[in-house]
Amino acid sequence: MTIKKAAVIGSGVMGSGIAAHIANAGIPVYLLDIVPQAVKDNGGDRSVVAKTAIDKMLKTDPAPFMHKKAASLVTPGNIEDDLEKLADVDWIVEAVLENPKVKHDLYQKLEAVRKDGSIVSSNTSTIPLNILLEGQSERFATDFCITHFFNPPRYMRLLEVVKGPKTRQDAFDTVSAFCDRVLGKGVVECKDTPGFIANRIGTYFMAVAVNEAIDGGLTVEEADAITGRPMGIPKTGTFGLIDLVGLDLMPLISKSLLSTLPADDDYRRIHRDNALANKMIADGYTGRKGKGGFYRQTKAADGRRVKEAIDLKTGVYRTSEKATLASASAKNLKALVETADAGGAYAWRVLSQALSYAADLVPQIAEQITAVDEAMRLGYNWKSGPFELIDQLGTGWFAEKLAAEGKAVPHMVKVAAGRPFYKVEGSKLLFLGTDGNYAEVKRPDGVLLLTDIKRGSKPVAKNGSASLWDIGDGVLCLEFTSKMNALDQDIMGMIRKAMGIIGDGKSGAYKALVIHNEAQNFSVGANLGLALFAINIGLWPQIEATIAEGQNTYKALKYAPFPTVAAPSGMALGGGCEILLHSSAVQAHAETYSGLVEVGVGVLPGWGGCKEMVIRHLANKRRPGGPMPALSQAFEAISTAKVAKSAFEARDMLILRPTDGITFNKDRLLADAKAKALELAANYTPPQEPEIRLPGPTAAAAFSMAVDGFAQQGKATPHDVVVSKAIGFVLSGGNTDITQVMTEDDLLTLEREGFLALTKTNGTINRIEHMLETGKPLRN
Amino acid sequence: MPMYKAPLEDINFVLNDVLNAQSLTQLPGFEDATPDLIQSVLEEAAKLCENVLQPINRSGHEEGCHYENGVVRTPKGFKEAYDLYKEGGWQGMAFDPEYGGQGLPHTIGFVLEELMCSSNMAFAMYPGLTHGAMNAIRAHASDELKAQYLPKMVSSEWSGTMCLTEPHCGTDLGLMKTKAVPSDDGSYRITGTKIFISAGEHDLTSNIIHLVLAKLPDGPPGIKGVSLFLVPKFLPNENNEPGVRNGVMCGSIEHKMGIMANATCVMNFDDAKGWLVGEPHKGMRAMFTMMNAARLGVGMQGLGVASVAYQNAVVYAKDRLQGRALSGTKAPDKAADPIIVHPDVRKNLMQGKAFIEGARALGYWVGMMIDLVEKHPDPVARQEADDFVALLTPVIKAYFTDMGYEIATNSQQMYGGHGYIREWGMEQFVRDARIAMIYEGANGIQALDLVGRKMPQNLGRLLRRFFHPMQAELEQSQEDPTLLEFVIPVAKAFGKLQQATAVVAQKGMARPDEAGAASTDYLRIFGLVSVGWMWLKMVKVAQAKLAEGADGKEAFYDAKIKTARFFVEKMLPEVDFRFKSLMSGAKSMMDLDVEQF
Repeated sequence: MTIKKAAVIGSGVMGSGIAAHIANAGIPVYLLDIVPQAVKDNGGDRSVVAKTAIDKMLKTDPAPFMHKKAASLVTPGNIEDDLEKLADVDWIVEAVLENPKVKHDLYQKLEAVRKDGSIVSSNTSTIPLNILLEGQSERFATDFCITHFFNPPRYMRLLEVVKGPKTRQDAFDTVSAFCDRVLGKGVVECKDTPGFIANRIGTYFMAVAVNEAIDGGLTVEEADAITGRPMGIPKTGTFGLIDLVGLDLMPLISKSLLSTLPADDDYRRIHRDNALANKMIADGYTGRKGKGGFYRQTKAADGRRVKEAIDLKTGVYRTSEKATLASASAKNLKALVETADAGGAYAWRVLSQALSYAADLVPQIAEQITAVDEAMRLGYNWKSGPFELIDQLGTGWFAEKLAAEGKAVPHMVKVAAGRPFYKVEGSKLLFLGTDGNYAEVKRPDGVLLLTDIKRGSKPVAKNGSASLWDIGDGVLCLEFTSKMNALDQDIMGMIRKAMGIIGDGKSGAYKALVIHNEAQNFSVGANLGLALFAINIGLWPQIEATIAEGQNTYKALKYAPFPTVAAPSGMALGGGCEILLHSSAVQAHAETYSGLVEVGVGVLPGWGGCKEMVIRHLANKRRPGGPMPALSQAFEAISTAKVAKSAFEARDMLILRPTDGITFNKDRLLADAKAKALELAANYTPPQEPEIRLPGPTAAAAFSMAVDGFAQQGKATPHDVVVSKAIGFVLSGGNTDITQVMTEDDLLTLEREGFLALTKTNGTINRIEHMLETGKPLRN
Repeated sequence: MPMYKAPLEDINFVLNDVLNAQSLTQLPGFEDATPDLIQSVLEEAAKLCENVLQPINRSGHEEGCHYENGVVRTPKGFKEAYDLYKEGGWQGMAFDPEYGGQGLPHTIGFVLEELMCSSNMAFAMYPGLTHGAMNAIRAHASDELKAQYLPKMVSSEWSGTMCLTEPHCGTDLGLMKTKAVPSDDGSYRITGTKIFISAGEHDLTSNIIHLVLAKLPDGPPGIKGVSLFLVPKFLPNENNEPGVRNGVMCGSIEHKMGIMANATCVMNFDDAKGWLVGEPHKGMRAMFTMMNAARLGVGMQGLGVASVAYQNAVVYAKDRLQGRALSGTKAPDKAADPIIVHPDVRKNLMQGKAFIEGARALGYWVGMMIDLVEKHPDPVARQEADDFVALLTPVIKAYFTDMGYEIATNSQQMYGGHGYIREWGMEQFVRDARIAMIYEGANGIQALDLVGRKMPQNLGRLLRRFFHPMQAELEQSQEDPTLLEFVIPVAKAFGKLQQATAVVAQKGMARPDEAGAASTDYLRIFGLVSVGWMWLKMVKVAQAKLAEGADGKEAFYDAKIKTARFFVEKMLPEVDFRFKSLMSGAKSMMDLDVEQF
């Protein structure tokens, strides 16, 4: 069976978020909730709850929907009038109150209407499956499982799934495959135990990290400096994370865990009622969503924003101070716990307890250690999972140190007996099974990871900023490796090198190129630091040469005799977006954030971004007549640094073409891109260079007037005006007129000249400097 | 005996015509610093230097300082000269009026520094160190300390020192051993030994205020645990007069190559009472306030000694009759032609003149920037000026002192064998000039400061303050055909500096040894290009002056243009050599195993 239609019951934050994400994937979904008593009494819209939830989501940031149009796939309704609509639904997600009675009543109603073979899953985070099934029919038990999403469902990659003893394997597989392939989730199978994997270990870790910080007299900043960068649990640090998820959630999770955990569970030992946190919650300091949390932003008397942190002893806010612990800059985890300062001692106390806790829970909560590590990485954004962390310390070292302190050595560490939990053999990554034997870490079908390829092979070519990998079947993959994947001369050089190696795509070993990497962001653009240094010493010829080099390289890629498929995920901005525009096709991760944001640093897209947007908008068949509306759209997008907040929005902005593909699961992106590349290579002819006709000064004058208008309304700053006019001049074709045929090179020359002129202005230099120093755009 | 005449005509040209120092009167607090006032101050300064300081320069050199039982006596005449200096109120000339200073621009302070170092460098160091200490106290000390000590120092009653170096640590102050222990009354007890303390002990003032770096017991290790303390020789009594003797003693004075009349002391601190200046463990920050000013001051010493040595070389070259000109007799009425007719002699003299006049313009310009840093109402302008000063500080310190020594020895060379005879005084200039290349951060350290700290700072923001205005001036000057013979070589040298900067920055990021190997060549290129820029500015002024009628100073302006030509043709080409050397990288420098030496 395939899932073609779905329903979510319960339109709270989780339920509505799940419905939105199912709609994101193009699947029609019902969102049903109760009829409020007030409506029953006084009349009114009986589906008001679900409708309100959808309206609210359309205004939420970060957006639950990848595209506003996805909202039309969500049909609101209520569980009194619309239940029979569930008759043709393949998958029903229950996300109602965490109350067994409420759920049981609902399940009875669902049983009456749902079709044979349909699947029901609960999004419970706390109630064991066996309790959910109490009093339910055999038919229900075979079609039922737990699908536990994390908040927010669109963005959090982890999905925990739990099957019961009677759950049909094919139903379970269908839901798992759907969530993996269609919804893009990292599906981890858990056993039916309290809190499953991520919340069980995550809650324990946070509790122990908070308690030990208080007992050890560490400040909030110091504790986060230790749990943050060196441990990576996660980057925000513990207190930062609690602020993010909300302080008020912590006692709720804790309470539900305590109600179901085994009597001898170690969480019962370390759990405390935190008076400070209770007071903060009562006073509305629930974290970022409230008045602030362990950290808060306030305004000083002079209007400057000040970051403050709470004193864990007194509960009084004070100016936040960067932690100065030597341990915070430890080279690795072992060095961290061995550093003889308060931070090192803290790190050991936290890790010794939390990692022991985790290592004692396999196979109790998951079949193998891999599930635990995966769940903590995807669900709590840990940089490494608990078993990977123990490996960083060494299982033998860890066991000895625990024993020396008279502490129990956890089960899986005993199984390891000094051997690592993970090891590499040849090209294979092996993990230590619960039986004490190593087995290969298997990827699901259709998952191709650069990490795996890199483990088993040497790069075809490599320099300081990029590598080329053979990903099989005659396809090369270009990986950026520079800091933040910033684009520089070495990356341009590697693109040209790839073109040289692939040649005509027919006579050699390779026939197509994929541009992809597994970093958080595909690329946020050109290396601004290098550019600023060259600007600072007035080395204009070098700047011009750098622009020309990028233009020539990208253009050559576009017209190469072989196809190139760019496969971005995360941010693809500025020069990183321009590489998408010059690829033969794009296979984008749904969570791709792309745009030409150059104005933020006071320049214009100079590597063919203006040129490509002009060409695409002019060729857009859906635009109104005449070149002006087309150019206006390009002008608006570039001059406001508009960013598409999903691959779907990128389609609207013509950054993606209708033929470009979208992949929901990041782990499947490379395989999809490779397939696309091979499909294109089968019969590839490079594109024809278009003839471009542009209106010239008349259009530039119109843009100029529009910009002056924005400036008068206070919507554009003085330097916005300068930059926007330069962009307007390029997009309108410079001193051309509509009767003249322009080439791509003519537009590139305009880009180059415009870019160079802007870099000579103080406004632009100040913007670049500000961006590099603060990470934020300067509004000058 | 050597002579010295303060070069007031050239100084006025630089201040008024090249740098437009009149513009300083627009800064708040400098309204009265008109060219007329500055002119009269400089005339007085010239008198002091020519008539009081210069006459005791050689005698002080011959006599040196005397040490006996912890007491240091300066050479004959120094105390009397110091009293005149005090009466003239020179110490406070460019200092904050709140503490008794006269609040004149620092620019004028730079001129005074040059004149005093030309006339008597060893003497100039006594008030020079006091000035450095005054700056640090004003910038970092508590209001109580400022009120108690600054007026006494501004009036020259008390002098100051800076105590950094210890027997085992100079450049690497993180190794410091001197300790400071807090007392109950908020003061500290300082114990340790400092060496190479200029003006550490002497008979010129009734009290000496030492600024001492020491480590507090709870401080972090290394340079981050160093704090600065104010330790007076005599603890002031209730009337703020020197009272009880503090635990500070001069253990001995050094026997040196030069600056004989300045006491270079070993200072023993034995449970001496002192007060914290600035925050605990932030001593280096406070010390840098002193050091940056001091480094510029040392640069001006290089210029000052070059200037006096050059003046005496000119006198001798015009006077000394030996042989005949290669091109035929020039003084038929005399037994021989003066040696100034010879090209090689000319080369030495022109080199001196071209460096001194160019460096003078650059040095005073940096002085003006310091005034902008302190007084400009716009914070952006203050920041820009501060960047410029920070960038140029190592250039001025190292390039000026390298050249100061070179010109001193070239000027000595003009004297032939007489230059080697003490009575002629030329050997003193060589000896005095030599220390300026070493102290306040040896010149190699300055080069590292330039490439390692100043260049990468804020991704080259400091560089922008130099490169952008110079590029703009070159572009604008290119439009004047009469300037081309100057613009083209300066622009080429500028291009080499740009390329060198890009290469050093790029290589230095990957391999620090490469930046280190390039640093000295790079700093020299920077110095040459900077002075080249000054010559371009000066040529433009001279041409304009000649065009509008030079008011009887045709020869002066004509000489400017001809000296500029010498600079671009004979001195600026060093950029090409340095560039080539720089580009060859570190390998040949680092290739030998240590055992192969």
